[in-house]
Amino acid sequence: MQKKEFSSHISNQLNRNLEELFNHILEMGGMVENQLDMALSALGNSDIKIAKEVVRFDKSINQAEMEIDRLCIRVLARQQPTASDLRLILATIRIAIDLERMGDEICKLAKLVIKFHKNEPCVCANYAGYAELVDITTRSREMLKTTLNAFARVSAEDAMSILDQEEVVDNVYAKACKDVTEQFKKNPENVECLLEVMTALRASERLSDHALNIMESIIYLVQGKDVRNMDQERLTKFLEKL
Amino acid sequence: MAGLKKFSMESSSNKLKLENEEIAIEVKDWNLYYGSKQALKGISMKLPENRVTAFIGPSGCGKSTLLRCFNRMNDLIDSVSVEGEILLHDEDVYSKHMDVSALRRRVGMVFQKPNPFPKSIFENVCYGLRLQNVRDKQVLNETVEWALRGANLWEEVKDRLDDNALSLSGGQQQRLCIARAIAIKPEVLLLDEPTSALDPISTLAVEELIFELKKEFTILIVTHNMQQAARVSDYTAFMYMGDMVEYTDTDSLFTNPKLKQTEDYISGRYG
Repeated sequence: MQKKEFSSHISNQLNRNLEELFNHILEMGGMVENQLDMALSALGNSDIKIAKEVVRFDKSINQAEMEIDRLCIRVLARQQPTASDLRLILATIRIAIDLERMGDEICKLAKLVIKFHKNEPCVCANYAGYAELVDITTRSREMLKTTLNAFARVSAEDAMSILDQEEVVDNVYAKACKDVTEQFKKNPENVECLLEVMTALRASERLSDHALNIMESIIYLVQGKDVRNMDQERLTKFLEKL
Repeated sequence: MAGLKKFSMESSSNKLKLENEEIAIEVKDWNLYYGSKQALKGISMKLPENRVTAFIGPSGCGKSTLLRCFNRMNDLIDSVSVEGEILLHDEDVYSKHMDVSALRRRVGMVFQKPNPFPKSIFENVCYGLRLQNVRDKQVLNETVEWALRGANLWEEVKDRLDDNALSLSGGQQQRLCIARAIAIKPEVLLLDEPTSALDPISTLAVEELIFELKKEFTILIVTHNMQQAARVSDYTAFMYMGDMVEYTDTDSLFTNPKLKQTEDYISGRYG
């Protein structure tokens, strides 16, 4: 499937609306990428100013999701899309939801920086799990970039790589959780900071889950196959056949 | 369909705000009777210029009757009597001083079934101009090309303008009828179920054409096909049993109609 297929209808209105949907998703994706970059910068430098900016920016992302919903409703009600056009609408709605939730998770990372700043920023940043937190967030950032490129190209070619990256993130997350849990036992006086790190770790791990969800939506768009319920083995086999 | 009768007949036809629109036609408290039977009941609405307004509703609701009022096609039926006012750019359509032939040049019409004359494609398009005694060959040639391009048919027929119009496909014939209607440059174009005799692809071609034509003409379309109204129109009026039930912008009507009666009709719950 090629993107140009979405602009080859007799109805130019439908062509324009679908093009608009593509642009809206890419724009919203760009906003989340930007938010994630800022969050990484805030995490790396314990920069409370940037962290607050990240939280403020979330409103724009929520509005972008609402705008996409409005456009989807309009296209559904007025142009009755079918086949790949219909899948594009459904995929777009799902992707917008995932992007909006990524925005929420990124806010949790920023709030960690804000909370740490109130305590002892330098010391807190050295706690167990913090390095992994930055690592997972950086990987999720790459996953998001890959999925947005895949959407722009209407291609599921990179699905396998997303699956592999997701596995790496899961492993790093599992190790980080173990380290933090051990620190709970060793240094119970740091429980407050450690809990914050744990919450942020979960948020960053969810970022990669959402990136994977987006790739699943792209697979649905391109192949017309809903792979959400497939286990790892079946999904791998399916992707190898693409 | 009888189920609709149980709903109260609330009318929201006057609630539409058309603040940023120029008005082409204004209908004021319009009633029409076939003998003693009232077919249109106190219709009041403003129809914006250079927009597509669709009329939807079940058979017999009065949408075609209303459409035919705009160029006085109902005058041809003996038993018809009317009350109220219809203004075309502030001019009373039913004034006794109105020249009906001139009115029909200003308000063109395309019917359900393509009805080209058994003449060449060229002669079909310039028929109206010839009636107006236009003789200049260059004017005729230019107008025919302009109208056929406007009707999105030029590329398909430019090398066969002398062929009989009846040799065209149904979709092409309907676009030819649209070309014939716009050749005399009317202010308003009335389309009475213009695609009901066409296949889906020809239908989409005509719909796309309607979308393009609104840049130059005010278009009023009657359609049985609600999806078509949703696709092509800027404003939609839902009629039932001679009443204007709801008249609003098409986005609102198809995503969030104000009246339950409209919602039930457009979502197919009229059992």
